[in-house]
Amino acid sequence: MEKKENSLKVLFFGHSDNKGLKQYKANGSLDTIFLILVMYLVVMGTIMMFSAGYVKAESETGDPFDFLKNQILFLAIGIPAMLLFSKIKPDFYKRYSVTIYTIAVILLIVVLFYHTDIQSAEGDDYTRWIPIGPITIQPSDAAKFALIVFLATLMDNNRKRLETDWKFILPLMAVVVFTAGLVLLEKHFSATFLLLAIGAFMIYLGGGKQWVFIVGIVIAAIGIIFLITNMEYLPEYVQSRLKGWLDRDYDPLGKRWQTNQSLYAIGSGGLFGLGLGNSKQKHLYLPEPHNDFIFSVICEELGFIRTVLFVIVPFALLVLRGFQIAMKLKNHYASLVVMGIMVQVGIQAFFNIGVVTGMLPNTGISLPFFSYGGTAYIILLCEMGVVLASSRGLKSGGK
Amino acid sequence: MSIPQTKENTMVQRAVIVLAIILLLGFGICICYLGYVQLGLGEEYRAKAEDNQLRDSEISAERGVIYDRNGKELAKSASAWKIVIYPNKLSESNTAREIVIKRLADILDMEEDEVRAKAELSQYGNMVVKYRVEKDVRDEILKLQDQVCETVKTETGDTVDRKFARYIGVENDVKRYYPYNSFASTVLGFTGTDDIGTGGLELLYNSVLTGTPGRKITAVSGQGDSMPAEYETVTDAIQGTSLVTTLDETIQRYLEEGLDQSLKDTKAEYAYGIIMDVHTGAILAMTSKPDYNLNTPYEITSKAVREEIDKLVDEKMQEEAETEAWFNQWKNRTISDTYEPGSVFKIITAAAALEENIWDLTKPYVCTGAIQVEDRTIHCAHLEGHGSQTFSRAFANSCNPFFIQLGLNMGADKFYKYFEAFGFTEKTGIDLPAEEVGNYHTAEAMKEVKVRLASSAFGQSFTITPIQMITAVSAIANGGKLLQPYIVSKMLDPDGNVISKTEPVVKRQVVSEDTAKIITSMMEEVVKTGTAQNAYVAGYRVAGKTGTSEILEEPGEYVGSFACFAPADDPEVAMLIAIKKPVGQIYASQTATPVAADVMQKVMVYLNVEPKYTDEESENAERNAENVVGSKVEDARQKLTKAGFNVKVIGAGETVVEQVPSSNQPISANGTVILYTEKNAEKQTTVVPDFTGMTVTQAYMTANNAGINVSIVGNALSNNFVAFKQDKEPNSQVYYGDTIVVYFKSTSADVD
Repeated sequence: MEKKENSLKVLFFGHSDNKGLKQYKANGSLDTIFLILVMYLVVMGTIMMFSAGYVKAESETGDPFDFLKNQILFLAIGIPAMLLFSKIKPDFYKRYSVTIYTIAVILLIVVLFYHTDIQSAEGDDYTRWIPIGPITIQPSDAAKFALIVFLATLMDNNRKRLETDWKFILPLMAVVVFTAGLVLLEKHFSATFLLLAIGAFMIYLGGGKQWVFIVGIVIAAIGIIFLITNMEYLPEYVQSRLKGWLDRDYDPLGKRWQTNQSLYAIGSGGLFGLGLGNSKQKHLYLPEPHNDFIFSVICEELGFIRTVLFVIVPFALLVLRGFQIAMKLKNHYASLVVMGIMVQVGIQAFFNIGVVTGMLPNTGISLPFFSYGGTAYIILLCEMGVVLASSRGLKSGGK
Repeated sequence: MSIPQTKENTMVQRAVIVLAIILLLGFGICICYLGYVQLGLGEEYRAKAEDNQLRDSEISAERGVIYDRNGKELAKSASAWKIVIYPNKLSESNTAREIVIKRLADILDMEEDEVRAKAELSQYGNMVVKYRVEKDVRDEILKLQDQVCETVKTETGDTVDRKFARYIGVENDVKRYYPYNSFASTVLGFTGTDDIGTGGLELLYNSVLTGTPGRKITAVSGQGDSMPAEYETVTDAIQGTSLVTTLDETIQRYLEEGLDQSLKDTKAEYAYGIIMDVHTGAILAMTSKPDYNLNTPYEITSKAVREEIDKLVDEKMQEEAETEAWFNQWKNRTISDTYEPGSVFKIITAAAALEENIWDLTKPYVCTGAIQVEDRTIHCAHLEGHGSQTFSRAFANSCNPFFIQLGLNMGADKFYKYFEAFGFTEKTGIDLPAEEVGNYHTAEAMKEVKVRLASSAFGQSFTITPIQMITAVSAIANGGKLLQPYIVSKMLDPDGNVISKTEPVVKRQVVSEDTAKIITSMMEEVVKTGTAQNAYVAGYRVAGKTGTSEILEEPGEYVGSFACFAPADDPEVAMLIAIKKPVGQIYASQTATPVAADVMQKVMVYLNVEPKYTDEESENAERNAENVVGSKVEDARQKLTKAGFNVKVIGAGETVVEQVPSSNQPISANGTVILYTEKNAEKQTTVVPDFTGMTVTQAYMTANNAGINVSIVGNALSNNFVAFKQDKEPNSQVYYGDTIVVYFKSTSADVD
């Protein structure tokens, strides 16, 4: 009975202790391979961001180095932050997961009412960024990390229940849907999908009943097929986006414009590319050559072979290495967090590549390490710090 | 060993599954799809990307230049502009499109629908709306571009700076330009709005003159401005081949001035002339009046015709009349018009008869004023008859019965043989388009009906072209060798290197050199004592023959022509002048011959042909007065009087300060020299007398009395000649000592 009384407290906070902040300092050497992969992606990403973005930077600000300077500034904050986070044991986030999650939710609500005045090309308000002084923060970025640490906490604290009682999936799903739902209010579809995907993968990794996922996948598949074949049930703007995805000749100067320009860039690259710096599509054809569409410019300049070798493979290696670390961890919580982060990076890269190649419907999603972006990049680097912190004390090298 | 179902293993298993999903499903699919897009569809997308990024524009090629034989540019390319719109840019803004369509149609004087059709081709990056516009239009278009951007900005409240949004553009173009306007227009021809030659040399040599257009492929950014230059590919335009013609700008000018004047004097409908180098067949000048300004070919030159067209009420009739007037003024009548040569053709009959020994030179022929041919009586133009005359005299008299007799004696076959040999049955082959051949009788036809032979023998009942006539006459001047006339002597590549050269073509020896010489002397006699005395040019021996004939299809209308060459002893140039449908005086001796004399004299001087005066002529020849400035007045007077000049002294000074005319201006014999003896004395004026109707002697006297000089044009030896024209109006004021040019001609309308 005692246990039941405490169940709610345990659900959220687990078993408390009072040893002070020092106990969260991570010790031991971190995983060099993972660090090298991160640093490789940071350097490669910065180079490509500059190459892809200088025309746009010059056109917008008059200074071709404008984006690069800002990106370096973000790195100057992000890399020390990563190193700082690599010193913090993941248990720290478990201890404060409620707080972290609560802050994220508050930010997600705040952004609905207090946000920058930017409109999309279609005239919709972008309610995604909260301006704080000279910078803006995107609460959905924070929400990803918050959801990871919060879900991990919930699952770690209730591991047995999750593995034995399929119904326990429901509250977990509720948390995921609630978070994603808040983001959906911003009409930020990519982030919504990303959150749903992270949530689903994490619950699966945490030990949710397998059949629930199989049923879920079947239902989702039927639902998606139904909606695509019966688009009238979807809002107008979603319909036009889907049409633009499915029909290559649809509204070439409107909905399909961005995707077409992206495909022109990728197609121009061919097997070997036009050479670094030689993209033509970045000359104000691609809407965001330094951001969401940076991958198109990379394809155009580096060509298929080098894009796969220098961009996709390193991403895959990073995810692989992250999972290797996670699988070696004795700490179940940390393992879940690391895998959650790697799932996030992997899916985000997949989504981005999918969108710019026209494989997925067009939605604004950035490519980790490559896209220009302030708070998102810093948070990403912090997440890498979390993975590095988890790797401390493990023997480096393969499994 | 089976994996124990521990919690750790479950998680590891699941991690592996998730990893597999992300890596294989996620990145694996990404790589495959990327491969499909980048490699499978790559070519298609690359092509589309280039469509998108590259603006492909044509660089207009300059047409080749047309030069006269001294390198003067008769037709060349000048800078112009073409107006381009960017339909795909316009498709982004309806406001912009509407303004552009409306304003462009307005500025370029085009139909709105025409502009709209181009503006709505939104799949195109650029479309040329109009070629070859002038600078003022270009400037207006440039202004329009700014206006459109401004309007779009204010109307849409667009915050994006649209200064780079290009809706309209202006590119370099070339335009045909004719520096001499109407000069040699019917020979050169003009180029239409599409820069394609529509007549004359421009048409015949169109493919040669046309250059190869270049291409400029520029990479443009998404906002329409150029990307850095390294993306630019330029294939230069290659200028067309240039033509060096045989035309001589100076000679052509003399001929045109002469014929313009003659059109005014004779009130004829048409006047045309050809001047040919008798040694080569090269055309030195060729004109057909009235002509037109090559730069504005659609402007009707004749005011009378213009007025008549404007009077027409019916629009369709007006259009038709306009078209007819255009073709009329564009037509090169020297090659496209056929006419009855009349007595000029007697040159040919005479040459044939001589060559075939039909009539002994010394054998007299008695003209009774008519001759019976079969059942027809054909009258001589000189109704009372010429009486007994030699071959040469009959030629000078242009006696029709004599030539009929020659023809009849010769027979149709021989006559036709020479008719053919002199080139009247075929095109001369001159390098100009639309050359015609007239109607003539075949040998069979002439055999059948003798009158046909008889009339043909004196130049009637058949038609030829002026170019055929001058070519045949040139053969006489050229020792009997018939040449092929030509007008383009050289072709030059864009760097000025000669790529082809026309060599004179001798078609055949038509008559012997001896025959040619005899005919020449007969023709000279025509000018000296016959029907063409108005063609007399002091110092140069002109050989010629006049002819006046009624136009077959238009009874009551005449064409008077005069064929000649000079100098008779060593011919250089041949000339044919024809005056068609004159009003009043119809005879060639009054219409064509005076122009010929005027032009021939100038040509001879221009060609530096040394004048050879007869004694009589040299007495009258103009000469320079000695320079007496600075001498004592009395000495000067004595010197000049001794030299045969009249002297008039103005002022009370002792020494000559100035003499008018100065010592380097030739003065006619018996001319007047004015000596000013006071410094800064104002020059005194006198009144120009009216010389009209005076003989040469009378004119000299009148001039002396007036204290001025006259320069005689025409035969100054015969007092049968009277003045009919002067270059300064009677009663106008001139300075003492000035020279007035007075034109003399024979008043007897020599019937030929």
